[in-house]
Amino acid sequence: MTQARVLDVSSLPPYEISNRSPLWAGQLLMCMIEGALFVILIATYFYLRLGVDVWPPPGTRIPGTLIPTLALIPLIASCVGSWIADEGAKSNSRGKMLWGSAINLAMAGVFLALRAVEWAGLNFRWNTDAHGSIVWDMLFLHTYDVVADLLVTAVLLAIVAIGRDGPKQRIGVHVDSVLWYFLVAIWIPMYVIIYWGPRLVGAGR
Amino acid sequence: MSAVLTEIPRETKTADRDALSRVWRPRPGFTGWLSVTTHQQIGLRYIKTAFFFLLLGGVEALLMRLQLAFPNNTLLGPFRYNQIFTMHGTTMMFLFAVPMMEGVGVCLVPLMVGTRNVAFPRLNAFGYWMYLMGGIFFYSGVFTGSVTAAGWFAYTPLSGPQYSVGKGVDYWAQMITFTEISALCVAVELIVTILRMRAPGMSLNRLPLFCWSMLVQSAMIIFAMPAIVMASNFFLLNDRTIGTHLANPAEGGDPILYQHIFWFFGHPEVYIIFLPALGMVSMILEANTRRGIFGYPAVVLSLVGNGFVAFGLWVHHMFATGLPQLGEAYFTAASMMIAITSGVQIFCWIATIWTGRLRMTAAMHFVFGFLFIFVLGGMTGVMLASIPLDLQAHDTYFVVAHFHYVLIGGALFPLFGAFHHWFSKFTGRMIDERLGRISFWILFVGFNLTFFPMHLAGVNGMPRRVYTYPPEMGWQTDNLLSSIGALMIAIGGAVFIANALKSLRAGRVADADPWDSSTLEWAVPSPPPAWNFDNLPVVSSRYPLWIDPEERACVVGMRDDRREVLTTTVLDAAPHHRYVLPASSIWPFLTAVGLTIGLICAVFAFSGYWLASLLGLIGFIGWFWPPRHVEVEP
Repeated sequence: MTQARVLDVSSLPPYEISNRSPLWAGQLLMCMIEGALFVILIATYFYLRLGVDVWPPPGTRIPGTLIPTLALIPLIASCVGSWIADEGAKSNSRGKMLWGSAINLAMAGVFLALRAVEWAGLNFRWNTDAHGSIVWDMLFLHTYDVVADLLVTAVLLAIVAIGRDGPKQRIGVHVDSVLWYFLVAIWIPMYVIIYWGPRLVGAGR
Repeated sequence: MSAVLTEIPRETKTADRDALSRVWRPRPGFTGWLSVTTHQQIGLRYIKTAFFFLLLGGVEALLMRLQLAFPNNTLLGPFRYNQIFTMHGTTMMFLFAVPMMEGVGVCLVPLMVGTRNVAFPRLNAFGYWMYLMGGIFFYSGVFTGSVTAAGWFAYTPLSGPQYSVGKGVDYWAQMITFTEISALCVAVELIVTILRMRAPGMSLNRLPLFCWSMLVQSAMIIFAMPAIVMASNFFLLNDRTIGTHLANPAEGGDPILYQHIFWFFGHPEVYIIFLPALGMVSMILEANTRRGIFGYPAVVLSLVGNGFVAFGLWVHHMFATGLPQLGEAYFTAASMMIAITSGVQIFCWIATIWTGRLRMTAAMHFVFGFLFIFVLGGMTGVMLASIPLDLQAHDTYFVVAHFHYVLIGGALFPLFGAFHHWFSKFTGRMIDERLGRISFWILFVGFNLTFFPMHLAGVNGMPRRVYTYPPEMGWQTDNLLSSIGALMIAIGGAVFIANALKSLRAGRVADADPWDSSTLEWAVPSPPPAWNFDNLPVVSSRYPLWIDPEERACVVGMRDDRREVLTTTVLDAAPHHRYVLPASSIWPFLTAVGLTIGLICAVFAFSGYWLASLLGLIGFIGWFWPPRHVEVEP
């Protein structure tokens, strides 16, 4: 037989910036790993909480709700910036990527500033007792992830700003937004658990 | 745009090997060696490193057996003995078994699914370096006197600041960080490789069973490893270094919660080790019975079932902690259920052997050894799932016998079989079959001689983790037999190593497919070139090499002048787009070095994490920074 059966793929695109890109799947798995860790932290929180009658322990003030609730506004607004950057990555628009990332960083910066103000008002620390340990673990891990993602966003912004935004870098901008949506979304249940949980369930017992 | 199957003159289809070679060959010199990102090289490094740790763990086991050979022996003191069994368990679980399975997966999966490399080659290299550095860091504790004696699961309060002074437990807990990062890297890249980079036409129902087992195993790693992060970093390290109280009952913490979280990882861990071994057994059987596995869908569903049920078993490690009995009963049921999913596979293998044309290679010897030993270990597992029996046998040598039957029988024997089976693929030489069989028989007899008497010692009341025993307990004979068996295992291991070295040097030169196997890794030369396939294959059957070579199709139209691979759709593996993999880079290595420095400092002060973060960030910037604007032209 002199003929060979072949599948010609030369007409297929050489890259893809969407949820079909391998890097998107990798980022999703990273979010699942991080999500599993947060779920275990939440489970630990409730396990410890169910083991005692009074939560938080006597002498510990329940964290205030005003600042964390206000902080949700810039946090959610930052997603708009992330979304604009993401759309810019898909449509190869440098302007959108720059503006979107900048809005993302600025709004997240406001969120972190509010978080710092809030932390200064807490009257317990991680080494106060088990309640302090688990609440600080949740706050710390989420903050650490937020700061880490913002640094990555800043690096991507710099790469785009100096004009090296090839397809690989644009995929980076795209999956960076996926991570950001995740970090915002995972904060909502944690916010409810940390700030509203002790008020709504078993308060003052 | 789409790809269509056409016919062209045969001589025009071949890819340009020179171009591929230029693009894929590693950079020269030592920095080139540090920059390697091809999956075969990284996989072999995993395997060699893990084998080295197997030897270390084996020496530790021998020391324990020498100490226990005679009553009132004084070779090792109690504290030293505790350190050695802790090192043994830790080494075997974290530094040998999981990385070894990952290494085999990294080596074989891209070849089996018909692609050129894993989806994230730099991540792959980074994962290996983290593993290596974590292992070196852990063993460096031997020279600084920082060796934990708290057991491989480091229960609090024994492992807490009060009862484990010094830095041993901290070294242990931070070593976990290294190995879990490594395992997570491999899990992520293998899942994406398997789901998005299979050869066109390799729909999920044509996926080789080893790849199925790695897929399930990787998914398990994704959900199990975060639990050990919680246990080792948040409970142990933070309680010890910055005074958190998660495991401190005086301040509202709970040591039982540590056990829950540890075993929520620890039990799936056993299946993380065991599932790839099941995949290996299926593949070895397929090649050596020369038929497809009987009941492929049942085997796949059982693997997936194993993966799910494995997360519902952890409390059977904690039956003796006084948990509510109704809750414990659930875990008894779940523990017995895993016998169903494991049993289905065993029956499918028996049917495969029964109806196939069996060829008794050395690898097949190990498969039969696996079937025998693993079934025995499974039986004692079902026994231990029953709470009344478990309460009697808990913390006795009966349990030690059980888990060595499951882990050595269930993972090490298939692994040795796999070593004999795929040796030629990665070395280009056939392994000596006769020496392989000899090593099998020595190992098989030695294994049973070592571990069968432990059942009896356990039933006669001998507790685990004792450094010696008085002669009047009546455990003398059993222990002496075990120790003689352990020496036999060592001899079997020596024969195995001698065989590997001899065959590597003077073995018969292997052709591409010495076993007439069915899967794609046998379609490429032994050893395969760095780019694996000249033309990526197109698959039209579950057994692509068992169809007429004239009928096989391949991919054309890929660029040879860059590291290009093909992505396909998740279920049907229809071609979707081409995808350029990054070049080799030294940054994964440098990033791992930076993180290592920081993580080691974090053992002594929490601020080490800031250093790790800073150095890690610098590493990642170097890793991702584009030297210039690079467009990807079609």
